Amino acid sequence: MSSRERVAALAFAVSTIASVALAVVYWRGGQTQLEGVCLFLVTGGIGFGIVSWAKHATPHDEVTEERHSVASSEESFEEVAAEVEASATLDRRRLLVGLAGSAFAAMGAALLFPIRSLGPRPGKDLKHTPYAGGGMRVVTEDGETVHANDVPVDGVLTVWPEGHTHAADAPTLLIRTRGDQHFRPRAGREDWTVGGIVAYSKLCTHVGCPVGLYQAESGLLLCPCHQSTFDVLDGARPVFGPAARSLPQLPLAVNNEGELIARGDFSSPVGPGFWDRGR
Amino acid sequence: MTSASRRDAVLAVGAALAATTALLLVLARPAVGQQDEVARGKELFAVGCSSCHGVNGEGVITPDNQRRGPSIQQSGEAGAFYQLSTGRMPLADSDDLPQRKRAVYNADDIAALVTYVGSLGDGPALPKVEVANADVARGGELFRANCAPCHSASGAGGALSYGRAAPSLGAAQPEQVAAAVRAGPSQMPVFDESLLSQAELDDVAAYVEYLRAPEDPGGLPIGRIGPVPEGFVAWFFGAGALLAIVAWIGTRAPARPESRK
Amino acid sequence: MRAPVTKRLARWLDRRLGAADFVRSALNKVFPDHWSFMIGELALYCFVVLVATGVYLTFFFHPSATEVVYNGSYAPLRGVRMTEAYESALNLSFDVRAGLVMRQIHHWAALLFLAAIVIHLGRVFFTGAFRRPREINWMIGVTLLILAIFNGFAGYSLLDDQLSGTGLRIAYSIALSIPLVGTWLASLLFGGEFPGPDILTRLYIIHVLIIPALIVALLTVHLAIVVRHKHTQFEGPGRAEDNVVGERLWPTYAAKAIGLFFLTASVLCLLGGVAQINPIWIYGPFDPAEVSSASQPDWYMGWLDGALRIMPGWEIRAFGYEIPNPFFPAVLLAGVTFGLLYVWPFLEARVTGDRAEHHLCDRPRQRPVRTALGVATLSFYVICFFGGASDVLSSTFGLSVNAVLWTFRFALFLVPPVAAAITYRLCRELSARDGLPIESRVRFREIPARLLGRAPSR
Repeated sequence: MSSRERVAALAFAVSTIASVALAVVYWRGGQTQLEGVCLFLVTGGIGFGIVSWAKHATPHDEVTEERHSVASSEESFEEVAAEVEASATLDRRRLLVGLAGSAFAAMGAALLFPIRSLGPRPGKDLKHTPYAGGGMRVVTEDGETVHANDVPVDGVLTVWPEGHTHAADAPTLLIRTRGDQHFRPRAGREDWTVGGIVAYSKLCTHVGCPVGLYQAESGLLLCPCHQSTFDVLDGARPVFGPAARSLPQLPLAVNNEGELIARGDFSSPVGPGFWDRGR
Repeated sequence: MTSASRRDAVLAVGAALAATTALLLVLARPAVGQQDEVARGKELFAVGCSSCHGVNGEGVITPDNQRRGPSIQQSGEAGAFYQLSTGRMPLADSDDLPQRKRAVYNADDIAALVTYVGSLGDGPALPKVEVANADVARGGELFRANCAPCHSASGAGGALSYGRAAPSLGAAQPEQVAAAVRAGPSQMPVFDESLLSQAELDDVAAYVEYLRAPEDPGGLPIGRIGPVPEGFVAWFFGAGALLAIVAWIGTRAPARPESRK
Repeated sequence: MRAPVTKRLARWLDRRLGAADFVRSALNKVFPDHWSFMIGELALYCFVVLVATGVYLTFFFHPSATEVVYNGSYAPLRGVRMTEAYESALNLSFDVRAGLVMRQIHHWAALLFLAAIVIHLGRVFFTGAFRRPREINWMIGVTLLILAIFNGFAGYSLLDDQLSGTGLRIAYSIALSIPLVGTWLASLLFGGEFPGPDILTRLYIIHVLIIPALIVALLTVHLAIVVRHKHTQFEGPGRAEDNVVGERLWPTYAAKAIGLFFLTASVLCLLGGVAQINPIWIYGPFDPAEVSSASQPDWYMGWLDGALRIMPGWEIRAFGYEIPNPFFPAVLLAGVTFGLLYVWPFLEARVTGDRAEHHLCDRPRQRPVRTALGVATLSFYVICFFGGASDVLSSTFGLSVNAVLWTFRFALFLVPPVAAAITYRLCRELSARDGLPIESRVRFREIPARLLGRAPSR
């Protein structure tokens, strides 16, 4: 054997041994790294062997083959076109052809109708959350109600409307700002906070990721997906990034037991925008 | 009442009052040992901290209206312990961002400073934490709900706004985790007992402990933060290897073309 | 003496199929063997590995949103509620022997499948191999790229972990952002408001059947057209437009091809065993109210994510209707990108006036205008890619993520023209140094007029 062929032979031998090793690893319970390395040797040995063999042991004369223009010659094309036209008598029956065409087109359109079953009419769901009932208590994920002094200064808590802790459009952030942070309520929302606790929708108005990063010192909410930044002290107005709208605010109040409730739905539809959001 | 019994009554009331006052005075003052700690802490504080945080921790504003150091009167024992034990404080230059470093003070000095700073106001006390019997699975759920948005699901840390960052938790000891959670240092929000009970705090600390050396059954972890480092590995190592292989198998074009069209 | 068994088998088959003449012409076909012509094969072999490992995975994966409580061997998730999909992915990773290595090989193969497609697209573009008669094959290739991107996204979203679920949320919102039809499209795709009860089962059938079937069909046509046209070749001694010089299919080219398949598989297997990818147990099960920092899609969608981040907060609102912000980077830009890719051969033919058949490849340095435009476009998308990693770059290098994003905003418009200018100069100088004639027939400033059909083509 030439040295190249010896290399190929060695590669095949390594591959064979690795196959056995792989079987043993698997039989002994499996281990991901060993499995990967064995598979690497199994396939790599065969590949290396074949390529070494191909590069050095098989004929290497460069061969030339003719290449013709891809297009058929003018004569053959015209001949075939003439044959097709002669055998079909369609162009003298325009009405028939037209009706056949419209039948196919109509069938195509009709077959698209079952697509309508794939999902419900979008309707008003996108514009309302379960808070719309009004007067609902806010609860944590475990269903526990929240009192005003449950949220410490600089604290943040995620809540939902009672009974709807699985509603994907309803997660709400309760944030208690510090006295020295100068919270500025939006016009008409002066009574939407309870003792320094403000409530905003947790869904980013950009593409709907939960805005989970509360930076307590600066009063900024940061969305980790595309870095939209909202100013908690100014109605969650976007101050950086691709979000174009403030986070909707929830009107908070307390009931007779001192539990936090939502007086109504958010100030605007939650989450990302859509064509008729403003209507 | 006879004059004798009136005298007895007055004596009895006086004694009771005195005893009560003495009791109240004793209870109201820190124990003698703790008083030493506060005094020692105050001395250390005056030397190492007051230039930025003020003599009584009230913060310092320079004459040209720059804040050299914030008030730490409400930082509490927890805040002080976190900053000192992770070496973030003392900060050599008040314009620098605090970063984890080797702690400057030894454990005793830290304890003294912690007691002193705790006495300046009613900030959070140094929390207890016990990870040995904690529920790591529940800790994971709490971590992913409350901590992962800033610190990432693997505890690798993450970017915040304007140059700030949530640090990596790779070197965080359970006591430091607990202290940070209760104190909410810097940009971190505060999670007190009403948000995270003591048991939940233990669980979170235990999960952070797990994240410091998690199971990596798949092999080299490449950062555990997902597609960004994985994409780099795919391109540099994967595509690089594949291109090297085809370069080995195929030929290179001749340098000087001599073709006819 | 009896003939060897292979020959007897071949004779048995020939008596039933009569393929001897076909086989002779097939085995004698000549293939040029430049290394850059093998990149498309890399993509093909990655696809084969994807199908093989994918079939194995389907035997264990449950594409179901039914909620269960985990009780497998990964302790930090024991007792946690999750969907069956996520649970079956955990089982594959921890409790099925060789499950994790198969999962990881599958995922690395997907990343490399797309890398190979993109490099192959680049090779075809920069060598002008999309010109007549290969425009159809170019368009099939672009379609394969789009299908591969969608299938990759569908595949990693099946696992219902926190990271991929966040990506699905973003996809839903992007569909929502389309004017007029967005709310309908999102509702029909997801079966209602996000997350919808059916998205996992729909993604599953798309990922394992619909798109792979389309890919196989289109790949077959793609390869058949290559065989029909014969492969292009670089200029060189004895090479011309009316011949093809190289090696015969049998035995040399076939051996190299088969060997390349095994070597490709070996790289994927090594990565799959040794480099952890998509550690879903760390991300946790998907919860629409939770998120982690450092949330990115797989690399081939990074340009879209970066475009979403780089786009400033602009929206169009009028009379209660709006075109929301994500529409511009995610739908419009994507549409323009793929639209331009599709029509490029026709645009170039219109501008250069060159409608002849071409079977000789260009060397990129001999086409400075095309190469410069290609590099400029590539740099635009590379900046988008890095934009998608803005938060990771910031925290790795201690930078302000806001400053990083502003830098990318400016770079997106400043870097491509500079890259074009540098590339153009480089091409001209390299050609001059090698004594190669410049093939370009157009100057940059003539392009707009030629596109509009005003200037006469040569």
